[in-house]
Amino acid sequence: MREMPDLKDVPIFKQLDEDERAEVEELAEPRSFEAGQRILEEGAPEGWLYLLTSGTVEVYKKVLPGRRQRLATLEAPTVIGEMGLLTEPRATASVEAMTRVEAHGLGRDLLLEMLDADSPAACKLVYEIGRTLAERVAATNETVAEVISRLENTDARESEEVDVFRDRLVQDWSF
Amino acid sequence: MEEMLQGVRFFEFLTEEEREEFAEASEPVSFGDGENIIEEGAEQGSLFVLISGAVEVRKGLPGGRSRLLAEIDASRGRTVVGERGLLGESGASATVTAVGEVEAIRIPRETFRRMVREGRPAAFKLSYRIARTLARRLARLDEEVVEAIRELENKGETDMEAFRDRLITDWSV
Repeated sequence: MREMPDLKDVPIFKQLDEDERAEVEELAEPRSFEAGQRILEEGAPEGWLYLLTSGTVEVYKKVLPGRRQRLATLEAPTVIGEMGLLTEPRATASVEAMTRVEAHGLGRDLLLEMLDADSPAACKLVYEIGRTLAERVAATNETVAEVISRLENTDARESEEVDVFRDRLVQDWSF
Repeated sequence: MEEMLQGVRFFEFLTEEEREEFAEASEPVSFGDGENIIEEGAEQGSLFVLISGAVEVRKGLPGGRSRLLAEIDASRGRTVVGERGLLGESGASATVTAVGEVEAIRIPRETFRRMVREGRPAAFKLSYRIARTLARRLARLDEEVVEAIRELENKGETDMEAFRDRLITDWSV
């Protein structure tokens, strides 16, 4: 069997000591995806947190019917599925492998149980996720301020203005 | 001090001992009318538990204007502001100003970070709580924006003022 790429390269493992990393590694299931394969499907249950150790993925969302909006390209080492862990277990976007992707999958229910039991390893993972979310919220706050400013400057009843406003919202919003 | 954290929803999930740890790490502070508790753009600092009094949360907009995001009255329930600052690195996204006298307790970011370095469960439990609050705001905002975009596309009646108000609900400073 091929050696699993190292979890310590995934930034959210920074706070974990070696024993805690080993504990998580023990609980994680190795997953690999071929280029083009769906890892998460928008609207479908999101039961896993994936720690990507190699490969590249793309994140899509159906914002308007019949069109899919590319939201981001993510490269390992990174994490996907963290929003499902902390909110509803339903994917709000699709994630597709662009190359072959190696990952460790951690079950959402298992992680929540560990958090309830105050497992230091799980707590530390969530601490690091929280730090990335804090930065995302900071960026989102600035976007919201811009949107509000634009709303207050345009006459939203003019249909041409509405189109411009909508298109900029689609573009600027990071989802 | 521990009793000051009692009944604060943000700290409810902690054990009494853990609340005691935070109580020891925190300090009472008071602000006069018009004094800034958190200043937009300033380095991330502390979490404040508002014990009594009222505050206004305002965000500067391009062009030198500002918008009122929220008015929080602690007499209707003790609440927290600045929780994002404990985890985040970027500066505060809005200014929180005392309206009248405000009594609060402050959990300094440095103290919180030290608790994290020491591996104290109380600090990680609070982080979990903050992370969930942040994740919910992100998820809800995404939904609001998708819905607004779809309504705009369908040329339906979109109440822009209501949309704006929903965007600023539960702002995390």
